[in-house]
Amino acid sequence: MLGRIVFFLCLPSVLAAQLCKPNAAEGFKVRLSIKTALGDNAYEWNRNQRFLFQAAIAFAMSHHLDLEFNVSNILVCDETPRVSFWFVVTSPDDPSRLVGKESVELAVRASRSRINNILLLNDATLEFIGVLPTLAAPVKPATPSWLIVFGVVIGIIGAGIVFLLVSTVVQKKRKENEVAEEEDDDEEAQMKRMAGNEGICNTSFSECDRNTQM
Amino acid sequence: MAKDARDNWESPTQFVLACVSYAVGLGNVWRFPYLCQMHGGGGFLIPYLLMLLLEGVPLFYLELAIGQKMRLGSIGAWTAISPYLGGIGLASVVTSMYLCLYYNIINAWSFWYLFHSFQSVLPWAACPVNSNRTGPMEECEKASPTQYFFYRETLNISPSIEKNGGIQTGQALCFLLAWVITYLFIIRGVKSTGKVVYFTATFPYVVLFIYLIRGMTLHGALNGVKYMFTPKMEELANPTTWINAATQIFFSLGLGFGSLIAFASYNQYHNNFERQAIIVSLINSGTSIFASIVTFAIYGFKATINYENCLDRTRILLLNSFNLAEDSITINNVFEMIEKLNTTFPEQFAELSNKLEDCSLENELSTAVEGAGLAFIVYSEAIKNMPLSQLWSVLYFFMLLMLGMGSMLGNITAITTPLRDFKFLSHVSNEIVKNIRNRIFLQSKYFGKSFCVMLVVFKGLLPKLICTNTTFFYNIAGALQAKIK
Repeated sequence: MLGRIVFFLCLPSVLAAQLCKPNAAEGFKVRLSIKTALGDNAYEWNRNQRFLFQAAIAFAMSHHLDLEFNVSNILVCDETPRVSFWFVVTSPDDPSRLVGKESVELAVRASRSRINNILLLNDATLEFIGVLPTLAAPVKPATPSWLIVFGVVIGIIGAGIVFLLVSTVVQKKRKENEVAEEEDDDEEAQMKRMAGNEGICNTSFSECDRNTQM
Repeated sequence: MAKDARDNWESPTQFVLACVSYAVGLGNVWRFPYLCQMHGGGGFLIPYLLMLLLEGVPLFYLELAIGQKMRLGSIGAWTAISPYLGGIGLASVVTSMYLCLYYNIINAWSFWYLFHSFQSVLPWAACPVNSNRTGPMEECEKASPTQYFFYRETLNISPSIEKNGGIQTGQALCFLLAWVITYLFIIRGVKSTGKVVYFTATFPYVVLFIYLIRGMTLHGALNGVKYMFTPKMEELANPTTWINAATQIFFSLGLGFGSLIAFASYNQYHNNFERQAIIVSLINSGTSIFASIVTFAIYGFKATINYENCLDRTRILLLNSFNLAEDSITINNVFEMIEKLNTTFPEQFAELSNKLEDCSLENELSTAVEGAGLAFIVYSEAIKNMPLSQLWSVLYFFMLLMLGMGSMLGNITAITTPLRDFKFLSHVSNEIVKNIRNRIFLQSKYFGKSFCVMLVVFKGLLPKLICTNTTFFYNIAGALQAKIK
């Protein structure tokens, strides 16, 4: 009688040991890099932190499959000083049966950011080996920002060119008007100049002797 | 009379700044540091300075003399010396045309990078996410984010020169902008060019100085600078070193393209160009050396970061394979731990050996890059690792733009000046001539990166031709000069 009681008490943990083992078919290896992520604020990996992890996975499974998972459904084994371990998920209806790998993967992927935040880690420091991360969609603004800067610059340059071309035309027109005004005064100015001009003697053509010869 | 009077620089300073702006270009930033590294660091300065003395200054002086005395562009000036030499002038105009076609493409790339720097996260800092959002794009992971941004998002490069990839709209727009700005700068001839060079000649020095301070304070910068200045004298025995020094002087000073003749033709007749020639040549070489200090500081920083990343990856590999606690291996004791683990777990370690990388700072430093790869890939990689990277990025690409635009001014002037000298064209308004020529040049947007590389390699032939001819005719030019004076 006592033997039977002991047997039934030990059965779950034995089963658990058999269900959860390294390289289990339905299990995942998890690797945490707490010190890399948090530096001086890193927490110690102990039983309570593990409990939190199990709770997070239970939440992810419940959320994805819409069944009630308990912390005891998440079995963890083969912990190493690296802080890496294997875990498997048992079905809430039948603790001796494991939930399929694909369901676990989908559940984890769906709630990945939530699990990361619970453990204060990110995709790089909380690794589920074999589960691809779901990265945030790239933010695409309606107009690419470079086009805006380009538009501003080419607008300014265009305005500069137009301004310079117009100013050339305006200056030419102004010059034409001035030349037209000068032409009216030209004859009078010429006569004034000639009157006051005595002329310059070109010494290569003739001897320059102003005084008339006696 | 008013129409025939030649435009002049408003002051000799404008002329000097124009020459400096033309000579100090992208080659000083991306070719000279590479040559320094390839040919023995500090030791390369010996052939470089020797060549400057033997061929750089004399040819520079000769070109300025021809331009200033003849007061004509390259075709007219050479024809005036001897009708048989008119071909040199024509050849230099054609070379300048080819140069203009591809050089503005590099300015277009600078614009593209400049405009993309106005974002909260620089686009070349991280790989974009792939279509099912499970990780970075495969192409980007195999290369690096900076290479991916340059070759895929900027150029969208086709697999080979035979395959035509089509026109990239973004690049075409930036190229259009580059030509429009060039047009704005030369719209009034030397009157507008003279004002622009005040900025294009001086701004790069401001940025280089800021980068010198920033570069020297970066982690690991001194590794790079030390590497550069340790001379390897045995490189001087290699004839390639001397050839490269000579070629670099040619390209750097921009000899033989007709630009210097064109600039000098707008000088006052009795301008003292002897002193100016020496000043500009020295400034150009000084800038090369200054820029290579900055470049090597950046190299050192990049190499140190890559080396430390390599060590970090090795550390994580060891931690994960042997399931050790995180703080048992740090970056400093990676190599000791490798030894220890090799002796304690030999079989397990043997399985790792193909995944284990060889991390060496020497290897990282000795990967020398030149050209567009240095300017757009290596530098942007270094910039993304600096704090406040948007600011550094904007400063740097604006500097590249100023360097490129300054050189473009010289190239364009080399073409417009001889054209203006032809009487039949001077009746047509200057602006219209430039406008038409610009439209023709815009067609060159069909050229891609491979063409650019090809053109860079072959444009060197002409200056060598000119060199032999000019040294032969040096005496004639000198005699002419004496006569005219």
